[in-house]
Amino acid sequence: MPLLDIRNLSVSIPTTEGDVHAVRAVSLEIERGEIHGVIGESGCGKTMTGMAALGLAPKGARIVADRFHFDGEDLREHAVRLRGRRIGMIAQDPAAALNPVLSIATQMDDVIRAHRDLPHRARRAEAIDLLASTGLSDPERVLRGYPHQLSGGMQQRVVIAQALATGADFLIADEPTTALDVSVGAQVLALLRKLVTERGLTVLMITHDMDVIAEACDRATVLYAGRSVETGPVDAVLQSPGHPYTRALLAALPDAAPLGARLAAIEGSIPPPRSAIAGCAFATRCPQALHECAVTPPPERSRAVHRWLCHLPEDAA
Amino acid sequence: MTTPTLDIDNLVIRYRAGLFAVRPKPAVNGASFRLAKGETLGIVGESGSGKTSLLRAILRLLPAESGQIRLDGQDWLALRGSALRRERQKIGVVLQNPFLSLSPRLTIADILAEPILAQGGRHGAAMRKKIAGLLSDCGLPADFLDRRASELSGGQAQRVAIARALALEPSLLILDEPTSALDVSVQAQILNLLSDLKESRGLSMLFVTHNLKVVAHVSDALLVMRHGDVIEFGRTKEVIGAPADPYTRELLSYGRREKLVEHELAPG
Repeated sequence: MPLLDIRNLSVSIPTTEGDVHAVRAVSLEIERGEIHGVIGESGCGKTMTGMAALGLAPKGARIVADRFHFDGEDLREHAVRLRGRRIGMIAQDPAAALNPVLSIATQMDDVIRAHRDLPHRARRAEAIDLLASTGLSDPERVLRGYPHQLSGGMQQRVVIAQALATGADFLIADEPTTALDVSVGAQVLALLRKLVTERGLTVLMITHDMDVIAEACDRATVLYAGRSVETGPVDAVLQSPGHPYTRALLAALPDAAPLGARLAAIEGSIPPPRSAIAGCAFATRCPQALHECAVTPPPERSRAVHRWLCHLPEDAA
Repeated sequence: MTTPTLDIDNLVIRYRAGLFAVRPKPAVNGASFRLAKGETLGIVGESGSGKTSLLRAILRLLPAESGQIRLDGQDWLALRGSALRRERQKIGVVLQNPFLSLSPRLTIADILAEPILAQGGRHGAAMRKKIAGLLSDCGLPADFLDRRASELSGGQAQRVAIARALALEPSLLILDEPTSALDVSVQAQILNLLSDLKESRGLSMLFVTHNLKVVAHVSDALLVMRHGDVIEFGRTKEVIGAPADPYTRELLSYGRREKLVEHELAPG
């Protein structure tokens, strides 16, 4: 049984101008001990999916799903209790996630005290252990410091240590490297990989960066306009993508074209979040679209565990 | 040989730490490079590498401690007061986040008119024609003129920012992380637009980013900075094909899977 099991999740937010369909139909199966990448562009619903799993969807949002389970428990009822106990969160900007006026010692202790009944000295030892396990070389010095005295990479390590302090075994990392330099980002990804191996963590990695997916993830799910359109092992998704959107996304990267050549931009734009979509959401922008693409929902195609939704026959992929 | 658009020689920029403080290491430590007319020079480096200080000095927003900057052959650091103000229109700037650099209160037409008015232009038919031309050169339809920035997508807003930067027909366009806030598919559109503009207007560009893959794609020459030093400067093909510095090699390798094992956790 997958640790996180989402089938056909939709999150809509009622507004005076009609419902905003932030998530339309997302299915995600995340197995224990994997780093699962969720990739998509602005407005594809990747962050809202993570927020819904944390019980942090906006007030009044309608969450509908065939299945929305974490370790057998329904997230619609238990997300708030699971958050901070089993499910932790790593945000994009570590400087914003830490309180600028409190020392790291205070901020670590707050988290540990909220979750464990330990005497002061043991909590401090625990804080040092946690910081050391995130690769900080001088945890005692870090504890004495304040967020502004740390580099972005060190701050993100402190945030990860805090997430570990809750005892969470599942982390939702929303663009954890976007605010960091490439080399520092690579170190943070290597750290997450190490924690997955050593502590049996499971990570949901939300990103728009194909390099992050290639570098850190085991499997990946591609989101487009609030729908999961393709899922599978990273190598399969990146090397032989099934969905035309995934292909277009990969072709738009500078590494896909010879130096200086024109890039294959995707023409058009995503469907507006308030509109209803009858067929495939990508139909209007798809260079290979068939007549039925705009009318009927696409069927599932697959190659072993690599699955995608498309009207085009499998050999066209 | 024609005069290069930008000719920088041994430029040193240092921030003062206080009257009696020890002199800090310079933010830019003797940078020398040339940008030929009609070419794009990519500048790459991490936070703190000095690339922003370098740009700010070229824009004359930051004093240089020593060294020389020549723009179209002119001694750029010697300009003062109104002469500087007049000559500065030779440089156009596009920043990372278009929503922060475009006023939310003005219409797109007003935004594009502003630099022209600031340099003594007048409202009228010629101005309207010019603005419409700028907009269509940047791939936006004329009905955008009456909109405001908040009604645009990130890619559309960045096109407006580029149109504004071109309003005074600069010979040098400075782009500071112009696609970092954009999605991959939109990034491709903007990079294509920039290469069209370079072709049609013979623009010289300084393209600053931390993404070496993006910059390598658009640049004729590459400059890699680290801790204030220029550690690599050469033709893009040569730098990519045979990076001389190990740091450049490391930058180029991100996003390739086999790196993970090798790149185990250098302490933060």
